[in-house]
Amino acid sequence: MSCPKTRHLMTEYFDDRLPSVARTEIERHLEVCEHCAAELEELSALKDTLEGWEEQRVPHWDRGTTVFRNAHGKVSGIGGGWTWQWLPTAATFVMFVLLAFNVSISSNDSGFTVAFGEVGELFEQAQLEQQLANFASMQQQQQEQDLQLFMAQMAERLDNNYLRLMQAVMEQARELTAENFEQIYTYFEQQRQLDMETVQVSYEQLLDSDFETLRSMEQLANYVQFQGQLR
Amino acid sequence: MAFIDEDESLVAAALAGSTPAWEKLVRRYESRIYNYGLRLTGNGSDAMDLTQDVFLGVFRNLHRFRGDARFSSWIFRIAHNKAMDLNRRKALLQGQSFNNEESQDFASRIADPNRAAEPEQRLALTQQNRQIQKLLQQLPLEQRLAVELKIYQSMTFDEIAQAQEISENTAKTRFYTALRKLKTTLEESHVLS
Repeated sequence: MSCPKTRHLMTEYFDDRLPSVARTEIERHLEVCEHCAAELEELSALKDTLEGWEEQRVPHWDRGTTVFRNAHGKVSGIGGGWTWQWLPTAATFVMFVLLAFNVSISSNDSGFTVAFGEVGELFEQAQLEQQLANFASMQQQQQEQDLQLFMAQMAERLDNNYLRLMQAVMEQARELTAENFEQIYTYFEQQRQLDMETVQVSYEQLLDSDFETLRSMEQLANYVQFQGQLR
Repeated sequence: MAFIDEDESLVAAALAGSTPAWEKLVRRYESRIYNYGLRLTGNGSDAMDLTQDVFLGVFRNLHRFRGDARFSSWIFRIAHNKAMDLNRRKALLQGQSFNNEESQDFASRIADPNRAAEPEQRLALTQQNRQIQKLLQQLPLEQRLAVELKIYQSMTFDEIAQAQEISENTAKTRFYTALRKLKTTLEESHVLS
């Protein structure tokens, strides 16, 4: 005994998304239709049999890793050679940095000193200016000392001269006659010339001292310029 | 690799050249693909060929995987296409497709499954699996695929319809027709045994 609804009901029955209204209707029919119920029972048993498939283990294979490695060999194979490939570029970069930033490396007793371009130059320049200032200060002190010494010598020399002059005047005053006036005048004239010579000598000494200072400054400036050219 | 677990992350890592990521991806799906091949082709040798073809296809098209679909759906679409290709190749070379190889005298073979099985498969397959395999071989490829997708891949008829580019009603009919044919085959084998 067959049922005209069997095919339609069975095709719909295995749909998991079948609306609940339709499913209820099918269930109701299955309760009253033996043929459809028997068909469903057999098909469900078959479905259960098929669902009894046990997962088989995959035979050993390389999982495509050989193909994968070969294809990516150019990427992953670089590995060890990578460093060497980029070494010239890295060296060029280091040289560029050294030149661009004017890096200077100097070593002394306390170790290495690395100075970067402008910063190092500025630092060195500041140091030089400090040294020059110290030198100028020392020169000034020296000049002041020299001048004081010179003035003391001048004063002493003039004092001696005038003392001798006064003594001579006092001697001459005792026997002051008209003809002695000329001698006194001559004597004064001699003293004046002597003083002038003394002042001239002193002035020359002062000039010499200044000249020395100027030469020292010039030498120092030349030295600084030379150092600059070296770098 | 311990922290990379998502399919999409493994795909990205594999695309970047990570062999462990690729291997993990293959390990995750190889069993499903191989068993799919066993049910579809009916023998271990073709199943392995299919598995390798599928993963070669995955490897070649990995850069095209956009992540807008699940990776599992994507890989089974490739598997389906490869299965069709393999079936066509076999049909051209041997004048027969998967399901025709052992269709003759099937009823007597299913009563004694060991007779039909290849020696290496006899060792690997359980009796239950051998029986299922022989049953499925009685179905035309499109019906076998309908059973495969409905029962083993747990797809809805709507999804089967999309995968096979057919209507949902056709998918339902194919599945029902397949079950009916298998029922008939089993009844015949029981009569003979």
